[in-house]
Amino acid sequence: MESIHYEHLQETLYHEVMDNGLHVYVLPKPGFQKTFATFATKYGSVDNHFQVEGQKEVKVPDGIAHFLEHKMFEEPTGDIFATFASNGASANAFTSFDQTVYLFSATEHVNENIQTLVNFVQNPYFTDQNVDKEKGIIAQEINMYADNPDWRVYFGLIEAMYQKHPVHIDIAGTVESIGTITKETLYTCYNAFYHPSNMLLFVVGGVEPQEVMDMVRSNQAEKNYEPQGEIKRIFEEEPAGVVEARREARLAVSLPKCLFGFKETDVGFTGQDLLRRDMTTKLMLDLLFGSSTALFQKLYDEDLISDSFGHEYISSPQYAFSVVGGDTKDPDLLLARIREEVDAIVKKGFEASDFERARKKKIGGYLRMLNSPENIAHEFTREQFRGGDFFNMVPIYESITLEEVNRRLEEHIRWEQLAVSLVVSP
Amino acid sequence: MNTSGFERGSQKEFRIHVMPTKRFKTFAISLYAGVPLQEETVTKVALTPFVLRRGTQSYPETTEFREQLEHLYGAGFGFDVYKRGDYQIVQFRMDTINDSFVGGDEQLLDRSFAFLGEVLTRPALEDGHFRTAYVQSERETVRKQLESVVNDKMRYAAERSIEEMCKNEPYRLHPLGKRQDLPGIEPDALTTAYQTWLQQASMDLYVVGDTTLEEVESLVQKHFDVNRTHSSNYVTNQAVRGDKEVETVVERLNVNQGKLNMGLRTSITYGDPQYAAALMYNGILGGYPHSKLFVNVREKESLAYYASSRYDGHKGIATIQSGIEIPNYEKAVTIIKQQLDEMKNGNISDLEMSQTKAMIRNLLKEMQDSAFEMIAYDFNRQLSGKERTADELLTQVEQISKENVREAAEQFRLDTIYFLRDEKGE
Repeated sequence: MESIHYEHLQETLYHEVMDNGLHVYVLPKPGFQKTFATFATKYGSVDNHFQVEGQKEVKVPDGIAHFLEHKMFEEPTGDIFATFASNGASANAFTSFDQTVYLFSATEHVNENIQTLVNFVQNPYFTDQNVDKEKGIIAQEINMYADNPDWRVYFGLIEAMYQKHPVHIDIAGTVESIGTITKETLYTCYNAFYHPSNMLLFVVGGVEPQEVMDMVRSNQAEKNYEPQGEIKRIFEEEPAGVVEARREARLAVSLPKCLFGFKETDVGFTGQDLLRRDMTTKLMLDLLFGSSTALFQKLYDEDLISDSFGHEYISSPQYAFSVVGGDTKDPDLLLARIREEVDAIVKKGFEASDFERARKKKIGGYLRMLNSPENIAHEFTREQFRGGDFFNMVPIYESITLEEVNRRLEEHIRWEQLAVSLVVSP
Repeated sequence: MNTSGFERGSQKEFRIHVMPTKRFKTFAISLYAGVPLQEETVTKVALTPFVLRRGTQSYPETTEFREQLEHLYGAGFGFDVYKRGDYQIVQFRMDTINDSFVGGDEQLLDRSFAFLGEVLTRPALEDGHFRTAYVQSERETVRKQLESVVNDKMRYAAERSIEEMCKNEPYRLHPLGKRQDLPGIEPDALTTAYQTWLQQASMDLYVVGDTTLEEVESLVQKHFDVNRTHSSNYVTNQAVRGDKEVETVVERLNVNQGKLNMGLRTSITYGDPQYAAALMYNGILGGYPHSKLFVNVREKESLAYYASSRYDGHKGIATIQSGIEIPNYEKAVTIIKQQLDEMKNGNISDLEMSQTKAMIRNLLKEMQDSAFEMIAYDFNRQLSGKERTADELLTQVEQISKENVREAAEQFRLDTIYFLRDEKGE
């Protein structure tokens, strides 16, 4: 077990790699009642075409990573929620583009709960009957999202941008695609992506690191995992341009929803480079569209935006794009005004004083996030899978320069890379 | 923990509650201002914080105001307007970094209070009233927020069912007020309403962080520019279980998924000796994934993705919510009613009892890891007049028997069934 101390954060992280390749991290939080643990696999909705070293290439139905997440909760002995409940743990899971995360939080029986978490995820139990039953439940989940205009406008934007890369496929799939899922396809995916060497266990809270490591080590030693070869994730080449400049969906809304964003052409960054680029871009977007900017206030005063107007940046080694917008009474006017104002800012670049303030805000936001064990676990795991170090973000913020942010502004704002997604009332 | 951990004082008729602790990286500040929920005042009270967050005497322009927050390392600042029992609560929150994490003595707590004091007591004025432009633009903002409720069908169905159920009492009112009131609210009338509100609302100020009661009292003295002359306390109305026929309301909108919401009334409120039994009732019925609703509606019948219940001890209401395939309405109602009967008949297993106790125990304990959750729990005491620490509640929950739950079940009565469905079919 190694320990890494972060003096500026007053945090110490403990790490060990188990013999089967599983990475385990423990962050003790003295004085905390709760322990929060996540057991994550680097496997999400985009991993629909792959090849494990020495095996044949496979393509699987849309929505299968999410379906698998649902099915993991079923054990021969029944529903695993009941086991967690008996030990006072609140359990859950989620699937994103690039990972599937199982989690619990508990204030007692922490060791039993960690074992339950690891054991249930490492014990798949799929039958024709239980797979079939799940289809009805997930169909209702899909219907629920179909009625949700925020989800529709968000996914509409990704669909407008990406043609080949599976990031444009809804995480839950469609009622049709999940209809083709069988227990065999589930086992294929499970065997490929749930090998310990593709997974990470993170435990944060009032725990003793050595005790957790010892327990997990002996738990894993009993399971006799064979070493697994590399997983090749296959992605068709994505054209640089967007699929369509504008996409519209119809759904009853009080005001049109309008999201727009720029698709990056220059991708392929990994590790710390990816993290730095991510942070620099987010800082840039905040300087451009944040609620304290002159642009925000102008558009608000012109009654073109509301408090719902926000921005984010989504990135991975293969795709990267911004998402900006919110509710507006007049999407065309809003877009025209934004283009006009943003062009003027790109010409001038940002002011040093605004940059310093925005940087301070980012550092403060990061430190506040460290009050939340949940956020620490999620952000740390996500960064680890991407090869970045979540606990070293303050030094990066401190080293980002105004020139770098201004350069990012020029690179990112390219109108030919713009896509717009709207949800309007029928 | 046998005491709440809060030290109590008062200054200018603000009740002050401080928990000195070094456990967090921030100072958590929460101000609750409560007034009775009333037809005549609801909209003006709701509009007030929206105007207050536009600018103060020192930072009259909204961009200056927001830049100031960024200087405080992006201090989290926000407000919320909601109902608790028959009160309308305006809550302001600040979450400011403890100076020691940003290297130096920036006096961030003092500066945060200076900021909060300005927001609350020294708004930007012109001709002795709120700036007309701010009032006009925030009227629009509130209108848009009220209209946007329909966008989120889960929330819409939840709010509509409460509105139908409470149509003859103030609780039917939306916490943001009534759309039709907005155009008539002029800056001078709103300013007068604000001054009355500032004088008469019940004010509770909470701080959790590395500080003391004396320090917070002196900060209020220094930065809150108001002389409140009388204190006001919350008064709880006795809830009634009622005995009217169950009312069914069907509403049609263009939706894919039907939303089935049910409202129950109970005479058991937060201050009631049976409160712990009511918590157990809700937990066994639908509070968790091991509960009757989740197991029977979702897992056994695959009818829904979500099926749960919630209990509001301040109002004496429980709600059930589920998203279903529209033709499954009758079936879902039947199954849910069966679960209510099971509760009334005391058909509860030992496992359901022990699991639910463990989950409630977990919830009450893990609250102590979050400054804002500890604050929210303690505020219940102010609202209800009932002093009961989390530990005391925990002890009470542990002692609840099946018979106690069955007795509590008798005090819950189905009042309203609300179904949001599509526009097709009959």
